[in-house]
Amino acid sequence: MQFLLQIALAGLAQGSLFALTALGLVMIYNASAVVNFAHGAMGMAATYVAYVLIARFEVPFALAFAAALVAAFVLGAVVQALFLARLRDAPLLSQVVVTLGLFMLLEGLVGIAFGYNPRPMRESIAIAPVILGDLVLRPQDVLQLALLLILGVALAAFFAATKIGLGMRAITENTYAARLIGIPVGRLLAIAWGTGVALSAVAAVLAAPTTSVTPNMMDTIVVYGFVAAIVGGFGSMAGALVGGLILGVVVNLIDAFLAPELAMSIVFGLLLVVLYVRPDGLFGRAQVQKV
Amino acid sequence: MLEARGVTVRFGGLVAVSALDLDVPDRGIFALVGPNGAGKTTLINALSRVCPVTEGTIRLGDVDILGLPPHAVVAAGIARSFQRAELFPSLTVLENLLVGLHTTMKTGLSGALTTPASRSEEQAARARAEQVLRDLDLWDVRNAAPGDMPYGHQKLLDVARALVSAPALLLLDEPFAGLTEAEAPRLLACIRAAGERCAVLMIEHHFELLEGIAQRMTVMDFGRKVSEGTPASMRNDPEVIRCYLGTGRHRTSAAAAC
Amino acid sequence: MSRRLVIAILVACAVLPIAFQALGQRQVYWLFVISEFYVFAIVAISLDLLMGRSGQISLGQSGFVALGAYTAAILNQRFNVDLPLGMLAGAVTAAVASLVLGFPATRLRGHYLGIVTLGFGIAIDQIALKWDALTGGDQGIHLHRPALFGLDAGTPVRMYYVALVALVVTVLLVRGLTQTRIGRAFAAIKDSEVAAAAMGVPVARTKVLAFFVSAFLAGAAGGIYAFLAGFVAPEDFGIESSLLFFAMVVIGGMGSIPGAIGGAVVVDAVKNAAATVSGLSLALLGGMIVLVVLFFPGGLKALLRPRGARRARRHAPKGVVRQDA
Repeated sequence: MQFLLQIALAGLAQGSLFALTALGLVMIYNASAVVNFAHGAMGMAATYVAYVLIARFEVPFALAFAAALVAAFVLGAVVQALFLARLRDAPLLSQVVVTLGLFMLLEGLVGIAFGYNPRPMRESIAIAPVILGDLVLRPQDVLQLALLLILGVALAAFFAATKIGLGMRAITENTYAARLIGIPVGRLLAIAWGTGVALSAVAAVLAAPTTSVTPNMMDTIVVYGFVAAIVGGFGSMAGALVGGLILGVVVNLIDAFLAPELAMSIVFGLLLVVLYVRPDGLFGRAQVQKV
Repeated sequence: MLEARGVTVRFGGLVAVSALDLDVPDRGIFALVGPNGAGKTTLINALSRVCPVTEGTIRLGDVDILGLPPHAVVAAGIARSFQRAELFPSLTVLENLLVGLHTTMKTGLSGALTTPASRSEEQAARARAEQVLRDLDLWDVRNAAPGDMPYGHQKLLDVARALVSAPALLLLDEPFAGLTEAEAPRLLACIRAAGERCAVLMIEHHFELLEGIAQRMTVMDFGRKVSEGTPASMRNDPEVIRCYLGTGRHRTSAAAAC
Repeated sequence: MSRRLVIAILVACAVLPIAFQALGQRQVYWLFVISEFYVFAIVAISLDLLMGRSGQISLGQSGFVALGAYTAAILNQRFNVDLPLGMLAGAVTAAVASLVLGFPATRLRGHYLGIVTLGFGIAIDQIALKWDALTGGDQGIHLHRPALFGLDAGTPVRMYYVALVALVVTVLLVRGLTQTRIGRAFAAIKDSEVAAAAMGVPVARTKVLAFFVSAFLAGAAGGIYAFLAGFVAPEDFGIESSLLFFAMVVIGGMGSIPGAIGGAVVVDAVKNAAATVSGLSLALLGGMIVLVVLFFPGGLKALLRPRGARRARRHAPKGVVRQDA
C-alpha cells in the first residue's frame, strides 16, 4: 500500500509534466485548430536558452527560467505569425506537415549548434526532500505539482475573466464573427501560441534535471502530452490536466510492475481502445460536417 | 415509389424537419421549395442518409432506406448532387464520373494487375461515362481538373455524376444556384431528359424554371410541409407567398421574386 | 512523364552496375546506396498511396517496414526462408498488422490519426527492442546469404537488380491501382467523404483497404531491405525513419508516383550527404518541408511541371470545389 502510494505520488509528479505540455497543446489547438507537432521541440529550444544562461553566464536559476519562458513565448508567437498565419485556410494536412517540418528543423538546428551530448541541468530547488509520514516527496516533484496547480488555476481564471481570455474563446467559436466585432484575431493567436509554447518550456525546464538537456529531451514527454490532450478531447483544458496526471500515474505503474521499455506501447494500446470507443476522446465533443 | 412518412430530423434542440410526408412517383420532375432554413437540404440529406432521421419512415419501393448505411443508398437507386458541387479535385472530370459508377463495377485490387476482366470492365465504364459527357457537351474537358472549369460546368458535372449510375430517384440540391444565364439551359435540358427516365426531386428557388419543368411542387417552411400542388396553382397560393415574403406587402413583385 | 523518358531512366538504372565497375572498390558501397534508395522509394510510394492519394495521415510508416524486415529476418535466420518467400511473409505480416491501425482510422479525425500512427511506429520499435528472444533485441538479427528460388543472390550486383525490379513492379502495380476503381475510391475519400459515400464508396472499408495496401508494400520493402543489408536492428526503424519517409512524400509532391520517387531521391541524398554532422540532415529536411508547405504546395512535382500547364492553372477561375470544415 505504501509502495503504491509512493508510486502514485511519483506518477502525479511526472504526470504534471505531461499535463503542462498538454495544457499548452490544447491552448494552441483551441485558439487555432492546429496540433502543434513541434511543441516539445520548441520547449526544448527554450530550455537551451536557460542552459546557456546558467552554464555560460552563471545567471541564477529563477532568472534563467524566466528568460526561457520569455524566449518560448516569443518563439511561439513568431512561429504562429510567420508560418501558421499563412496556412489558416489551407487543408488540415498542410498544418500538420508544417509543424512536423518545424519540429525537424528545430531539433536539427539545436543538434548542430550544441551537439547531441547530454548537458546537465541541476535541480530547480536545492532543498532537502519533504517527508510526509512514510512518503518521500522530492522537492522537484513538489515544485512540478505546485506549478501545475498554480498555472492551471491562473489559466482558468484567465479564460473566464480577462478580456484577452474571452477574446480567445471567441476566436475558437467563430473566427469570422470575432473579427467582425473587432477582436484582434492575429494578435490573440500569437498570444495563444506564445503562452502554449511557454507552458511547454515550463515542462521542459522542470524535466531537464532528469532527462538532461539534449535536442530530443522532450520527445517522450510531448508524445505523452499528445495522449493526455486526446484523453481530454483536445478541447478541454481541464480534461488535459486531469488526463496528464492520470497518464503519469499509469506510466509509473507500468514502469514499476510491467516493463518500463514498453510503457509507450502499452499506453498507445490503451489509447487505441479509448479512441475506438470514444473517437473524440474521453471528454471531447463530436464534430459535425456540413454539406 | 418514394414514400416518406412522418419524417422528423432533430439536431439537439433544433428541429430541422418536422413530421413530413412525401410521395414521389417513379417518373417526372418534382420540386422542393421554401425559404432559406426551411429544411429542404436537411430533407435531401435525410433521404440520402447523409444525416440521421429522428422519427419516421422512408421507403423506396419496398426497400427501407433508413436501414441502409450512407454508401448503400446509391445501390438502392438514390443518387444526389450537392449544394456546393462536392467534386473530387484530385480526379479528372471523367474520373469523377467513373466514381459515380463505383457500385456498378466489381474490380477490386486486381485492378493493379490490369487483368483482362478488369480492363474490359474499365473500358465499358469509360464508354458509358464518356457518353454522358457527350450528352452534356463536357466531353472536351474530360481530362481536365474540375477546379479549372467554370462554376456552372462544375455543377453540371455534379449532376452528371449522380446521373451516370442510372438512379431511380435523383435528388438535386439547388442545381441552378450560381449558374449564369448562358449555363442554365444545358442543365435544364439535362434535368428534363432525366425526368423522362426516372424521378427527379430538386430543391429550387427559381419559380420561372420550375413552371417550365416541374410537375408538382412541395413547399416547406420551418421544417414542415406547408403546401403542395402544381407550380401554376402555387404561384398565387397565399401560404407560399407568405413564407417567402412574410407579410405579402409587395404583392405585385412577389410572384416575380419567387 | 513521357514514355521515352521513362524508358531512358530504366535503361540507365539497368546499366548502372556496369558503369560502377569503373569505381573499383567503391562500387560495393555505391551499389548498396542505390539499392537502398530503391527500397526507400518503394516505401515512399506506399506512404504516398496512403497519405497523398487516400488522405490518411501516417507518421509511423517505418513500423510497417520494420514488421516486414523482422519477419523476413526471423524466418530466414531460423528456417532458412529465402528472399521471395521472406519478402512475401513480411508484406503479409505488415498488412495484417495494419488492420490494427486501419479500423481506428475509420473513426479518427486527422490529428488523432497522426498521433496514433506515430504511437504505432514507436510501439513497434520498442517491442522490437524488448522482445529480444524473438528479435535479438538491440543486437539485431543477421540474415543468411539471400537466395532467389535456389539461385544465390548474395552479391551486391544481384541484390541491386532485385531491388530495382521490385521498384519497377511496385510502380506498375500502384499505377494500375490508381487508374482503376479502387484507386479512384482512395482519391474520393480524400477529397470528400460525403460525396464518396453518396457515390457508393464504402468510406470506412476503403480507408482500411488503403492502410492494408500501403502496409503490404512497405512490409515487402522491409523484407527486401533485410536481405539487402543482411542485418536488422531496431535503430533502423525508429521515429527518425518514419519522419524521413514522411519528408519524401511531402517534398516530392503528394498523390504522385514520380513525386514519391523524386522525394526519395532528395531525402536520401540529403541524408547521406549530411550524415557526418549530427542534426544537419534533420534541419535541412525540416527546412525543406516548411518551404514546400508554405511556397511550393505541390512539392517537387509541381515545380517540374511544364510552364504552360502551370500558367493555365494560375489563371483558371478559382471555383471553390471543396470547402474545408
